[in-house]
Amino acid sequence: MNSTTNPAPTATDLYPSAPPAIEVRDAIYTHGERRALDGLSLSVAAGAIVGLLGPNGSGKSTLLSLLIGRRTVGAGDIRVLGQPVTPALRRRVGIIFQEPSLDPGMTVTETMWLQARLFALPRAAARERIPALLATVGLADRADSRTATLSGGMKRRLEVARALLPDPQVLLLDEPTLALDPDSRAALWQHLLDANAAGRTLLLATNDVYEAERYCHTVALLDAGRVVAEGAPAELKRRLRREAVRVEWRDAAAAPMDEVAAWEGVGQLRQAGRTTHITVDAASPFLTRLFREYGDHVHAVRIEQSTLEDVYFQLVGHGIRPDAVDDEEMRP
Amino acid sequence: MTAALTAVAALLARDLRAFARSRSQLYSSVLFPLMLLALLGTGVSEGLDPKNIADYRTFLAPGMVVMTAVFSSTFSSATYYQDRDSGMLKVLFASPHSQRTILFAKTLSAVVIGAAQALIVLAIAAAIPAIDFQWQYGVLPGVALAVLSIALLNLILAGAGQWLAQRIGSMQGFHLVMNLVLFPFLFFSGAFYPLSNLPEWLKLLGRVNPLSYGVDALHLALSSDTSSGYFGLAIDLPVLIALAALVFLLGNARPVVTER
Repeated sequence: MNSTTNPAPTATDLYPSAPPAIEVRDAIYTHGERRALDGLSLSVAAGAIVGLLGPNGSGKSTLLSLLIGRRTVGAGDIRVLGQPVTPALRRRVGIIFQEPSLDPGMTVTETMWLQARLFALPRAAARERIPALLATVGLADRADSRTATLSGGMKRRLEVARALLPDPQVLLLDEPTLALDPDSRAALWQHLLDANAAGRTLLLATNDVYEAERYCHTVALLDAGRVVAEGAPAELKRRLRREAVRVEWRDAAAAPMDEVAAWEGVGQLRQAGRTTHITVDAASPFLTRLFREYGDHVHAVRIEQSTLEDVYFQLVGHGIRPDAVDDEEMRP
Repeated sequence: MTAALTAVAALLARDLRAFARSRSQLYSSVLFPLMLLALLGTGVSEGLDPKNIADYRTFLAPGMVVMTAVFSSTFSSATYYQDRDSGMLKVLFASPHSQRTILFAKTLSAVVIGAAQALIVLAIAAAIPAIDFQWQYGVLPGVALAVLSIALLNLILAGAGQWLAQRIGSMQGFHLVMNLVLFPFLFFSGAFYPLSNLPEWLKLLGRVNPLSYGVDALHLALSSDTSSGYFGLAIDLPVLIALAALVFLLGNARPVVTER
């Protein structure tokens, strides 16, 4: 089993000679009047875990649906494993959708067998792989249960097992841990990291900064259907050259948010309850002024590492999620 | 090709298994037409003394078989919505098969399930002593003709159901539209009363009604002589085959995917 710590080297460092598993060039996709993808370009190295980070509507899910061939790109070029996207190519590409996608009337085993037959897996191979995969994701004892009776975490693990059954080289993940509890998230990520360790490329669409920082080799920040920045999480944060301060106020209603936001050197403020996450050019002079002018309002302060959310805000001018601070506190 | 056939077989097996597990659907779809046959058949036979029909129960039986096909095909086509809402449709479309192959499998399931239920009703009706099928072409050819008529009718209904399901956003809307279209079709198909004595404008409705040709073919298969038919097999079968091919192709030719 892999460790669940943030992988330090980038995929390019790990696989310098590997051709890209996914290559998107100037992709344009229009959804009604709206341009869901507006000249998006992206290269995903084979064997990497790459995160697409952006708010809802930034084009993440649209890109995944183009990569799986559910939609056709209006302009530009998309290649997966060096080939244009065709139904036959989907034999080598797995996907886990954002919303649960299981037939509630089927059992766990039936779900796996349907996948095996859809992907024309030989029966002998399916008989061997299905129990092994169910055991890997901890569902061996639920093999005969209807999927409707599984918990949210179990359903997600079944979807992972189903996606891995045809042994895909590329796995597309659309916010796979959405609405999962911390234990289920950790368990699911362990399976995904194992899949990556076995050589599979993972492309993850998420608006979860924590997951992107912790698990992805590289991250592409998306806004309005374009990639606004791309790189390893640590590198992107280094480029920010800012510090972050978390301030806990005595009384949220009396917090001088507007006044602090107007100070020179102050970037993004994200408030959740009594806590405010503030990016600043330099923490030391900011804290000096804060205590001098509003010391009576402050209950506690902490200097933090800036996050990809801060990077995103600086580049785009708005955040990924309004409730980012709260969510981070919920992490395992 | 083999992979596509394997996928179609797998999806057909899945829908058949789901249908077999849904006992309420199985029982109600078979019991309702039989109940109507018993109540309406007996009521009309004994109470109203319909002229020109010596045995109304036997006359009504083919109509009930067609009604079963109508309702079961409609219901099976509606599983499109269950697959869409459960997210399974996305999974199926993410498999290495074209949308056309997946939708073909869905339509085939609706045809098989619909035809199976209609044949169950026909078999039970044939076993009821008060219903007297004459099998003018002999039992085996008559059964073969009945099976063919039912299969063609289900192809038409399932193809139309698939076509509509892809274009109507909600299952409630789908059922409303299907009921709005199919109930009048059922009434002017010769299922409940002969078309021969109707006013001309109602006869015209009967002639443009695809169900009329299925009902007519079934009447001919089960009755004692060709005079009980309205159009005749020489018209019924070509019309049913042409419509089945047209609607089935229409339902699967240009898939419109309205995923959630």
